[in-house]
Amino acid sequence: MMCENQPGALIKMDLGSLTQTAHDPIHLLPCEIQYDGHAAVDKYFTPTICQGVSAKEVSFRGRPLKGQEIKIPAGYIGLVVEENHRPCSEEEGRTVCMKSTFLSFTQWNLETLPSADDCAMMSLMWPKISEAIHRPVDSEE
Amino acid sequence: MSRKPCEAAARPDQWVLIARDSLLDLPKKPGDGALFTRLRNPSTGEGALFLFSSCAQQLFEIKVFKEDYHSWFVGQTVQHDGRLFFATPMDALFLILYYLIKAEKEQGKFQPVDQVVVDEAFPSSCILLQCTRAMQSLHHVTEEKEIGSKKFYKYNKEKTLKWLKKKVVQTVKALKSNNICVGGSVHSATFIRSKQMLDVTEEDYTRYAHGLISEYVPEELSADLLKYLELPELSSPAAQPPVKKRKVSDVLVEAEEDYTKFNSTDLKKKKPSNKMTAAQKSLAKVDKSGMKNISSFFSPKSVSKK
Repeated sequence: MMCENQPGALIKMDLGSLTQTAHDPIHLLPCEIQYDGHAAVDKYFTPTICQGVSAKEVSFRGRPLKGQEIKIPAGYIGLVVEENHRPCSEEEGRTVCMKSTFLSFTQWNLETLPSADDCAMMSLMWPKISEAIHRPVDSEE
Repeated sequence: MSRKPCEAAARPDQWVLIARDSLLDLPKKPGDGALFTRLRNPSTGEGALFLFSSCAQQLFEIKVFKEDYHSWFVGQTVQHDGRLFFATPMDALFLILYYLIKAEKEQGKFQPVDQVVVDEAFPSSCILLQCTRAMQSLHHVTEEKEIGSKKFYKYNKEKTLKWLKKKVVQTVKALKSNNICVGGSVHSATFIRSKQMLDVTEEDYTRYAHGLISEYVPEELSADLLKYLELPELSSPAAQPPVKKRKVSDVLVEAEEDYTKFNSTDLKKKKPSNKMTAAQKSLAKVDKSGMKNISSFFSPKSVSKK
């Protein structure tokens, strides 16, 4: 049976690009930065990170942040995917490429000490719950 | 920067995604790959974003976790969009079930499944027929007849409810083993964990799991499942106990608006033109219900009266 290929409806994920991906350090910041593009993270942000008594600490734009390392659940992988080239015509298929992969990221809070209560942390429970919902049921008893 | 006349080409669009590693299994044919596409959300009937692995062996659901005022550093770059996407394996039978129920209402007869899963508005739906495991589990939700070498199916509500109940039971187990708070009064993680043992009833767990499963079945079936599980209907939201601080649900209220942006900035970027087919038109429709914010799964669906 043939599925009609609707270029507008499908976006291909180029898995071949996986071999060339970087392993960039990933940080989730508690502020909105109205910008996309290059930033000298390694020059101004990373060197000021230090391990405090109960959390990682860093100063960003003059404000102290507290952070924790969040590990990606086992069996999962963190991906940064990008679409470099947006097709100009409807006939042209769309593709996203892998830009980076990661197995953990650092989540930063403004004032509060990072904990298991943080929403980002809780969102990582989703894969486990989802697995229970979507796993095939045990066959007939 | 912009080399092309396209207005959007100047800036790459990029997303941070957590995916099951089986998604990355390399395709057998070079040039093949995983596919993002839109399918009908079986609960709402509206379009939502899904992902097929190479050769469509596995369907993945896409969920979004979003908090206001967040951005990412990715290596030596800033990504303004602070959302975190999840691609988790999904039981494609939920999506096929939607069409089986529809066919039962419209025709009410035994049919080959490839005649049932036909959707003009979502042409990718036929890819579901390639999900081997779901195709092998049709017997959970249908009666089957074999004539010659061809199989014919008819939706069966009793079997479906039995299947859904098993889903509820295995979900309850996962909620318990992962210490997910299903009760109404949430104060802090540590507090819940000690309190959970005392206060949370089996009914709370079942109700919570029913809420999770209901995100994947039509409303009518969700109501039938509630009866089948022998859960009493709740009188009103007023039954909720007064709560000082409900940390998890605080987040979801403010976060829930934003999950359509992936669609609006990306999938729907194309301006409507005269050339659009009926399918493309329906793809361009605003989808507010398909992609739910993840944090909504961590709030109690409803709280039983104690």
